[in-house]
Amino acid sequence: MKFRFLVFLIAGCFLAAALQGCGVTYPKGQFKESVIKLCKKEYNLDVKAETVGKTIAIYVPIKDLLDFNFSITKKAAEQINNVILSVSRAAISTDAAFEFYCIIAHDAKIPELQIIIIKSVEDVKRFMLNDISRGEYSKRMLVDLRLSPQAQKERAIKEVFEKMSLDKKWQEDVMNDFFRSEPTALSDIGYWNEKFYIKDVGLGEFLAEQVANRVKIGFRENKETNEKFLIKASKGTYETKNSKHYFRFEFLNEPKWIKDFQKEEISNTIFKEAVSAASDVIGGYHFNDYEYIEIASQYDGKSLKVSKPDLEGFRKKKIKFEDILTGS
Amino acid sequence: MLPRKLRMYLKMHGGRIAIIFSIVIVLIAAVIGLMSLESFYRNLTLATMPMQLILVALNAAIFVFMYLRFMQGGISKVSATRTKGELVNVKWSDVIGMEEAKREAWEVVQLIKDRAKLKQIGGKIMRGLLMIGPPGCGKTYLAKAIATEAGIPFLAMSGSSFDEVFIGVGSSKVRKIFKEARTLAEGYGGCIIFIDEMDSVGSRRVFNAFGSQEKSTTQNQLLAEIDGVAEKDYNIMIIGATNADEESLDPAMLRPGRFDRKLYIDRPNLEDREKIFEYYFSKVKYDKGSVDIKRIARKAVYKTPAEIENIVKEAALIATRDKKDAIEYKHISEAIERIDMGLKHRRHMTPNEKEMVAYHEGGHLVVLYLLHPTDDVFKASIVGRRGALGVVHHQPKEELFTRNRNALLADIKVSLAGYVAENIRFGTTSTGVASDFAQAMRTAHFMVWELGMNDAGFIGDYTIIPESQISEKVKEALNEETQKIFQSCLKDVERLLSKEKDILDRFAQELIKKEELDYDEIDSIFKEYGKSSMKPV
Repeated sequence: MKFRFLVFLIAGCFLAAALQGCGVTYPKGQFKESVIKLCKKEYNLDVKAETVGKTIAIYVPIKDLLDFNFSITKKAAEQINNVILSVSRAAISTDAAFEFYCIIAHDAKIPELQIIIIKSVEDVKRFMLNDISRGEYSKRMLVDLRLSPQAQKERAIKEVFEKMSLDKKWQEDVMNDFFRSEPTALSDIGYWNEKFYIKDVGLGEFLAEQVANRVKIGFRENKETNEKFLIKASKGTYETKNSKHYFRFEFLNEPKWIKDFQKEEISNTIFKEAVSAASDVIGGYHFNDYEYIEIASQYDGKSLKVSKPDLEGFRKKKIKFEDILTGS
Repeated sequence: MLPRKLRMYLKMHGGRIAIIFSIVIVLIAAVIGLMSLESFYRNLTLATMPMQLILVALNAAIFVFMYLRFMQGGISKVSATRTKGELVNVKWSDVIGMEEAKREAWEVVQLIKDRAKLKQIGGKIMRGLLMIGPPGCGKTYLAKAIATEAGIPFLAMSGSSFDEVFIGVGSSKVRKIFKEARTLAEGYGGCIIFIDEMDSVGSRRVFNAFGSQEKSTTQNQLLAEIDGVAEKDYNIMIIGATNADEESLDPAMLRPGRFDRKLYIDRPNLEDREKIFEYYFSKVKYDKGSVDIKRIARKAVYKTPAEIENIVKEAALIATRDKKDAIEYKHISEAIERIDMGLKHRRHMTPNEKEMVAYHEGGHLVVLYLLHPTDDVFKASIVGRRGALGVVHHQPKEELFTRNRNALLADIKVSLAGYVAENIRFGTTSTGVASDFAQAMRTAHFMVWELGMNDAGFIGDYTIIPESQISEKVKEALNEETQKIFQSCLKDVERLLSKEKDILDRFAQELIKKEELDYDEIDSIFKEYGKSSMKPV
């Protein structure tokens, strides 16, 4: 009898202790503070955090972000990774329904230069559960090194103000009222003058940008295409027309040796890569809220429209690219 | 007072307390570890925990299975056949052709059945029965019949199943089989352990560095278990069977209290053979007009019950091949020949070769028929069998357990007859005499060197004496005596075959013509020449 009582007592204690530890580690109400604390505690990094909708942005100033080659220094890469790790840990252990997080890293000396990293919280979870590979995980991250759009905008406006000889206070008021607003595109996300310029990232635009990035990187990494093509710019957007959603991908490309390629062949190669990337990405996320995708090659002004069923058919290898091309 | 009681308690339950304490510590550590994890990782750990528990349980189950299979019951698993007594189903009446052995075995059955009575009287309970005899004489069959009559379970295994490469595995098997027998004895009131080929586990142990340690260990365990059975008074009877010489078994195995009763099961005599033939013929269809069981039994001298069963089976096959409804005498005869002489293997011989072989076999045949005091010729053939070009098949009319000087001399003469016949007819001899000479020389040597059958007065077995201790003079004298016997026999055979050249020619021609002659044909030819075999019946 005594022994049974002892067993129950021990089991009860364990249960109580276990239940007490069953809550979320980073509660919704203190999420920003938790991330800031985590970065400070684990890596001694001073970061700032801001949330908008289902997106959280982390700002991290880094000393010597870039070297003289304009590539990220080893130390900076390590610090960015630490921040990514901290935010990932917090994002997957919270009851806050965050879907995306955005890391904004600034060079402390040249604050106009920024690295923007956007990741999906779901991707982190799937990676942790071995649902996606490490390679796929890294492909699903948007990384962009660019000048702060807000900084560029303010500099241009300021020049105008100077020319107009406006009062400093007036200049600031006008700037706040008309030129410091929440960005509308992913490309406008950034941090400038102690202020976050972030937007709530939507899955559609995230996927659009990811497809554009993948095509660009794919062309660069493919030895054959890299020798013949040059993709100067790529852009992916998720747009709405007549209350119908669609993806639009634009590529500014040109051949390195024009004699080896016909114009048509250049566009077709771009189209093929874009269709392939779009089917992989959109299908991979099981995203269905779109009617078609549109791919535009700025080199010859040609475009290709692929309907959702065709894209799914291509993904399932039921339709060949040639069929899509002739069908269009 | 309290500390002393506490010490006592700890001593008594120390192991259990240590285990519980360890489990509690591990559980606390696990809970603390889980609590310290971030919620996602904690959930991940908790989510995978059931699968991990299942995997651990599966691993443990596989390990336990493998352990039990290979360590406990695998390597040392005994390949014994277990059958309940009533299911062995060999009735006492089914055991035929070994009346003497049956009488003795019946005592064993009674001892198993009337065990309590015997104990009341104060008699010593018998533990082991060792059956010794040639293979195929029905030792296993008799053991099964004992089990059926006694109505107790029967555990049968071969002695060689205890032989193992790994030391200790054989003894482990012995322990297991006796453990099982004890369990069965408790449940059914007794059990028989039958170990066939007992010599492989019970042969004499060798107490030196080259002796098999595994074998000794197994045998020691077997002895210990037999003694254990005696000490604990289980109704277990151990029956061993061997066709090895009793002398080759370990004396410790044969001492009273272990295998204290020995049952000699020999080949059946004429009467027994008749019964065995009758038994096996009762299971097949045979032509009662042509098949004379008494005659067949006489022909099947030295045949074991297993061989007799084989003869009947083989005869049935031959009859089926001949598209007959029933077995006839000729089928039996052919079956015996097949078993004794092997299958025919026809070779293409030149006429000269064939004639030489016919004369060679004819020589054997004539001398065997006219001079041999005990053996009858059953078949003469110039069809190749088992590598020989021809054969004269002979055997005693009845079982003989000794051979006298005359029989041995006749053996030599029969062996030399082929050589003499070839010489008489062709003036030369062939390589076919080699095995005959070897046989004849072996017999002559045996007579002189070992049996004292010589005219020089050398009595005793000279092969026992180390060769270095026998003088050259004695050796020469013994060899001279051997040669004297050899030459004397040769002269007798030459005299006989020269005298009976007509009969020799006749048989040679008959063999060339027919290739094979049966006893009846041989006998009638001799009778044509007014000759008859003077063998005792």
